[in-house]
Amino acid sequence: MLEVRDLCAGYDTVDVLHNVNITAEAGRLTLVLGANGSGKSTLFRTISGLVRGRSGSITFEDKSISKLSSNRIVRAGIAHAPEGRHLFPQLSVEKNLTLGNYARRSSKSELKELLTRVFDLFPILQEKRSQAAGSLSGGQQQMVAIGRALMSDPKLLILDEPSMGLAPMVTEQVLQAVAEVNSEGTGVLLAEQNAQAALGFAHYGYVLAEGRVVLSGAASDLQNDPEVQKAYLGV
Amino acid sequence: MTLFIQQFFNGLSLGGVYCLAAIGLTLVFGVLRIPNLAHGALYMVGAYLTYFFLTSAGVPYILAIALAALVLAGIGIGMERVVFHPLRNAPHTHHMIAAAGAMFFLHSLVQAIWGADFRRMESPITGRVEILGTQVSWQRVTIVITAVVVLIALTWFIKKTVHGQSIEAVEQDRVGASLVGINPNRVSMLTFGLAAALVAVAAGLVAPINLIYPTMGDVIMVKVFAIIILGGLGSIPGAIVGGFTLGLAEAMATTYVSAVAGEVIAFVVLILVLAIRPTGLLTKAVQR
Repeated sequence: MLEVRDLCAGYDTVDVLHNVNITAEAGRLTLVLGANGSGKSTLFRTISGLVRGRSGSITFEDKSISKLSSNRIVRAGIAHAPEGRHLFPQLSVEKNLTLGNYARRSSKSELKELLTRVFDLFPILQEKRSQAAGSLSGGQQQMVAIGRALMSDPKLLILDEPSMGLAPMVTEQVLQAVAEVNSEGTGVLLAEQNAQAALGFAHYGYVLAEGRVVLSGAASDLQNDPEVQKAYLGV
Repeated sequence: MTLFIQQFFNGLSLGGVYCLAAIGLTLVFGVLRIPNLAHGALYMVGAYLTYFFLTSAGVPYILAIALAALVLAGIGIGMERVVFHPLRNAPHTHHMIAAAGAMFFLHSLVQAIWGADFRRMESPITGRVEILGTQVSWQRVTIVITAVVVLIALTWFIKKTVHGQSIEAVEQDRVGASLVGINPNRVSMLTFGLAAALVAVAAGLVAPINLIYPTMGDVIMVKVFAIIILGGLGSIPGAIVGGFTLGLAEAMATTYVSAVAGEVIAFVVLILVLAIRPTGLLTKAVQR
């Protein structure tokens, strides 16, 4: 579904990604592992059009999206819940969610349906729907971020370290929701520090280091790979 | 008491004008994070345009203001495209220099078209109305009503419409806004257009009370900056509260102390607020 080929990207004079190749299959959960600064966020930001790639190609459902604006990319079916969440802190939870539908402009009934789906996934958000997003706890904010991305009814959901800074119990809850979204058929591209948990429900994985893909394979293979175990699983 | 009520209405009408002028500036600050030093010049152009439509083109007063607002919205969008958009990645001092340049350009342009003379725009709305036993001119009543109507419409637009929400979204998180598919460029243009239209309404309303001249925007510019700092940069409720506070304070100080005190009061209030609450009264959008 998503094909990243020989992608090079960076900021100003700094090159971050070097010839990165990644594929995310439809309906699958693709995991990207890597230490801080390995280029995971830059990769995601380039896919969603926040950063322009210098060379290489990004295709989504066989159409090139590397020159499209973020707006068009969301409409094509890729939604990105970024690192740091980037919510609208003073707007209510519900407005944050409905703004997630901005690019799609769904009809009222579709919008309601999408909203119900998010509230089913994260019931606490329904309770807090009229509160300012910025007043929520970190875990709840992360739920808003994922929910906002889901509101565009994406075919591919990009999640950049959704468990960052969350308590273990909340992390589990969030990752469970991610697995649930995936099991309902939405493709997921996930970067996650919590490799142990994520490898458990991922289908395929890549390991990034210094802007290069150094390892890739089925999630079960990665789980048994001594390098991965040493670096990410603390075995 | 009569004097007080009269001055209260004067303050209210002045406050309405300040509000409309200040909201535009605070909106632009909220979205683009730049103080648009040319905002006062836009106000001045708005006054001249209203004057032109009313006296030279002969359209009715309220329609003249609406037309001026429409034309100024176009000028505002043009200013965003030509002056600020190319500088979007430049240091903020560049914006200030460019804005000052735009201000001088507009001064000269107006001077070239209408000359440097002071002009008087006869108030098309004449007569007085008795409110609470006091005579208040219809012009001032019109200012207050128009300001309130425009403020309500603006609040509705920002809170209830998709385009208005996109302004708030960009104000609060540019990256988040891009990721949900909002085009920050378009929001910048929309904001500039809206700000210019609002300041044109302010200028058109007050033009019959004051004189029109090419540097008329400079005085209000400084006061409007005081208002948005007072209310909290980027905050619309702050601009409304700040605008009416300053309008009333100015009217009262002018009456009960002296005309000079009226001019000074804005800055006295500003210094007090900055000393006690440096982030402004209703700080909202600037905490990041």
